[in-house]
Amino acid sequence: MPDFPSLAAVAASIRQGKVSPVEVARHHLDRIARLDGRLRAFITVDADRALAAARGLEADAGRGRWRGALHGVPLAFKDLCFIRGLPTSCGTRTAEYFTAEQDCTAVTRLLAAGAVCLGKLNMTELAMGALGDNPHHGHARNPWAVEHCTGGSSSGSGVAVAAGLALGAVGTDTGGSIRLPAASCGITGLKPTYGRVSRAGAMPLSWSNDHLGPMARTALDCALMLQAMAGADPLDATSSSHPVADFVAALEAPVRGLRVGVPLDFFFQGLDAEMEAGVRGAVATLATLGAHVAEIRLPDPQVLNDITGLISRSESSALHARLLRERPQELDAFTRARLELGLGVPAYDYLQALRLRARMARAFTREVWSLVDLLAVPVIPEPAPPLRAALEGPLEERIARQSRFSRLTRPFNGLGLPALSLPCGFSAAGLPLAFQLVGRPFDEATVLRVGHAYQRATDSHTREPDLG
Amino acid sequence: MSENKFLQAELAALLGVIERLAGELSLAEEPARFAAALEDGAPAAGGRAAPGPGSPR
Repeated sequence: MPDFPSLAAVAASIRQGKVSPVEVARHHLDRIARLDGRLRAFITVDADRALAAARGLEADAGRGRWRGALHGVPLAFKDLCFIRGLPTSCGTRTAEYFTAEQDCTAVTRLLAAGAVCLGKLNMTELAMGALGDNPHHGHARNPWAVEHCTGGSSSGSGVAVAAGLALGAVGTDTGGSIRLPAASCGITGLKPTYGRVSRAGAMPLSWSNDHLGPMARTALDCALMLQAMAGADPLDATSSSHPVADFVAALEAPVRGLRVGVPLDFFFQGLDAEMEAGVRGAVATLATLGAHVAEIRLPDPQVLNDITGLISRSESSALHARLLRERPQELDAFTRARLELGLGVPAYDYLQALRLRARMARAFTREVWSLVDLLAVPVIPEPAPPLRAALEGPLEERIARQSRFSRLTRPFNGLGLPALSLPCGFSAAGLPLAFQLVGRPFDEATVLRVGHAYQRATDSHTREPDLG
Repeated sequence: MSENKFLQAELAALLGVIERLAGELSLAEEPARFAAALEDGAPAAGGRAAPGPGSPR
């Protein structure tokens, strides 16, 4: 079995009887045992139950019983997804910081489609932080350069997929936490529309801005995972009953004629030169595929960042106030400062921010989606920076660094729009470059379709890190 | 700048943005309109429906 197969390829091989679910699970557990001491992608490895599940799936396959499109596919889950029988640290020092009445709906749906749970993945403390560090469980390490950041907060999710420790992972994204590690680790990650995937059973950070989504090697892999995860859930009042498209079938529709907007100013200001070249190259590729590319002006993204940030700060402080009040010494200084900031937000300003967010979402529909079908923008302002340097200096410098790293992703959390991060080359130092495709609300199908077409025409997503 | 002063400055900046923009809001603007904006912004229906849960591909 190759070290870095795609989820779709393995699912097809299992279906064709070329490889068994137990072989696939063992392959990944062996890689975790060999590599994760160095990479720290996992907080909890659930080897025994994974093998037991794989044996059950193998027996089912032998009887011609297929659970779904992910039959026998090993996945891993950010350690804020509640799964009965496993601890849920949420990246904190406390092993079981979060419990829920039911297992995480997204996980339950993936397992119902035949996936095998390998375990729970590293993350930044309380899902706060854009760079991927964790003082309690060890910093997750970037497979392309272990001294560089992984991006956060779904750091372990990015590392596990990039290093071939899992075929896919679930991440969460409140200000970029799926797309930042996907971009930093050279994989594909989708933040769906707000409400598209249930948040039930996942630790909340900001109920207005939280999204769960798939992280995998390719857009096709993400489509297969999203198909299982998406749809209304009575356990999450914010989940949407908007119809779920056939994301996989939609991948085959043509890209020709789609209008792709490239907003300049904010998104390209201060961008690293290699990153800019990578993003512009990706946009040029979309044009060769028949997309109509045009520059576009957006409603002020910095204002969106400020509004989204204020809402997130306020809601996260309300949610985690007890930890902050009773055990502040357990928290990293960065996390504590972020939570303390939220305590100072007056109700008046929080409510005005929510009203402004609604107005900006409507303005975006009116001013942007009347002109284009998609946006193409960078994800991160530079390739993943060195970890040690990112953690150095006084607190205000650390906060400013983290805010800068997530400034290109946060606007789309406030707007609730689907956004897909895709690799688009490598820097001279061998670090991944990335761009994101942003679509209309509930139009994950188009975002994934264009991402799939881009990956058919390019090969960055097929490159493999040298892990020895 | 001390940690406390830095946090106060960051908060003041955020609140300043809200104060500047809130004056432009109409009385009809409520947070619940966000969900409606997502629905209104969605493309017209017409794509293929998803297969049932667990359907093989």
